[in-house]
Amino acid sequence: MTLTAAIHDPRADPEPDGWADFTARCKLHAVWDYGLMRLEAWMSRNPAVLGVVRDGDRIAAAATVLICRPRRARYADAPTRRKARLRPRWAEVYTPWLSGYPAVVFDPDLTGEGRRAAVREFERAVLRHVGPGLLGIAYRAVYRDMVSSMTGPLRRTWRNDPTSVLPNEWPNEDGWLAGLSKERRTSIRRYARKIDRDPTLEVREGWGRTDTDPYEVAALINSHRARLGRPRTDPRTEVAGVFLAEFLRRPDVRLLTYRDADGTLLAVNTLLDHPTSTVLQHWAARPPAEGGRHNLYFDCYLRCVRHLVSAGRAELTSGRGLMDVKASLGFRARELHTVAVPRPSVGRR
Amino acid sequence: MAMRWRRGYLRVVRSSFATVPFYRELWALSGRTEPEVVPGRTGVDGGAVRAAALAGRVGDLVPLAGGPTEIDPLRGLGPVLAEHLAVTAGTLVAVVDPGTPRPPVDLPAGVRSCVLDPSGLAGPYAGVLDDVTDHLRRGARVVAVGGDKDLDQLAAALPETLAHLVTRVPVRDPDDLAAPVGPHALIAHPLLGVLGGLGGCGRWHIDHPRVYLRATPAGPAYTLLRQRSPRLVDVLAGHGRPGWCPRHGTPVVEP
Ligand SMILES: [Zn+2]
Repeated sequence: MTLTAAIHDPRADPEPDGWADFTARCKLHAVWDYGLMRLEAWMSRNPAVLGVVRDGDRIAAAATVLICRPRRARYADAPTRRKARLRPRWAEVYTPWLSGYPAVVFDPDLTGEGRRAAVREFERAVLRHVGPGLLGIAYRAVYRDMVSSMTGPLRRTWRNDPTSVLPNEWPNEDGWLAGLSKERRTSIRRYARKIDRDPTLEVREGWGRTDTDPYEVAALINSHRARLGRPRTDPRTEVAGVFLAEFLRRPDVRLLTYRDADGTLLAVNTLLDHPTSTVLQHWAARPPAEGGRHNLYFDCYLRCVRHLVSAGRAELTSGRGLMDVKASLGFRARELHTVAVPRPSVGRR
Repeated sequence: MAMRWRRGYLRVVRSSFATVPFYRELWALSGRTEPEVVPGRTGVDGGAVRAAALAGRVGDLVPLAGGPTEIDPLRGLGPVLAEHLAVTAGTLVAVVDPGTPRPPVDLPAGVRSCVLDPSGLAGPYAGVLDDVTDHLRRGARVVAVGGDKDLDQLAAALPETLAHLVTRVPVRDPDDLAAPVGPHALIAHPLLGVLGGLGGCGRWHIDHPRVYLRATPAGPAYTLLRQRSPRLVDVLAGHGRPGWCPRHGTPVVEP
């Protein structure tokens, strides 16, 4: 086995050979689409690049890595060919809009020692790409069974907030509801009926929708995120409308919108489909003080579970945070870890 | 002068590409010229923006660090009046406009202002009209700014003996600069605000400390050099092309 690694900057480099084949083989979610990564990277403070490790010609592993820098209120500089940059940078191995999934993906045939070797090759490629200013690499949202591929001397591992997962164990949505507390079950049914009968509320859902202004959706998502207060360590930028314009028209993305009688967008949700692990991705709502409605959140979950059971997917994931509420909806915690690699350990075993 | 003017513009372009979502998207993905910000990507219309393309996108004109979203259609009124009409303390600036939401905010110190809706001069704006009349009776200077028809309505509502004492400053849209006007006039645009005024030389002078003008394949494009947010860069407006006034040595727009 001879492993080689390269970094592809979606803003400047063409799609890696064999990328479509790899994403299909590893069943990667839509956010790994190279064209979407390109839009995302241009609109980022800390743009994501794609690390690709090959065994011969065949892609054996890949990672999305954000090249981060301290300044917050600025997009990244356009890519240049200049080398040996001394400016401080660190690398976050992280999928910006899929925070509950690892950003390192291995070919299913790559095992044990091969994975550890692929990770080191990838790290050396990151070091070459960033230059001597690289402070270190942090792997975010790593599953427990992957941690051993990344650990080693000087490297630190710790547990983060878990992500939430609802395994599909029912033939229909009633089966799901039956497993919830009586209180939660009745309230979900009551909200659903109320929303259904409310003539002042327009609810629309559909795959690949092109009937909605993506900038309007982005604005609601961004104001929702801003209201929750983003941690200073969040390396992501605001969601860009131009990204959503491409994303929402995909056939594996479902957009759910709630609008007022006057057309005001009250809440949105994106559901990202997948052969096994469907994602309840964005949820954003206008606060009640600004005309928003209560309890649309639960209606959204009902609609997502409905897809989970009717399409027969194995699980629905719903990201991090609000674990109490999600537990009341049947979600379980899935452990996530961070592995931090200081500069002296980058690329070493 | 020309160099410094251009340097100020280049700074705004670079900063907008680095911090303002709207321009980041447009120039990174499509491109622009003079200057290019992504080598080889030249975009459409040199990267200039049609005002209609900004509808519903004002939030994306705010830099990432945050800032206001209000559009002020009278932005720049004060400096342009001071430059071309020597408006000084004691003057009353009367804005006559059916749509003006608020009085001008950048008038020179000691200059008062009022806003009149021409359709309400006998109704809700009667008190304001009285104020204008008092000013004229006292012999104080009144500068009336508005569309030609709006200014006519104001003149008709004032006592005949006083109406001619008002300094008329008609406002022209950038696509309406060819029609005869004089001796005073302003160029104003609903998004960009006041862009310049008619000089004593008869040329349309750009308010160059605050406004940059550039020729593009789609026509003249204006940039606000000092408005951080909402950022307005290379907004296409009207016809004509940039030039220099031989008498004053400063930038003009030639209809
Ligand atoms: Zn002149």
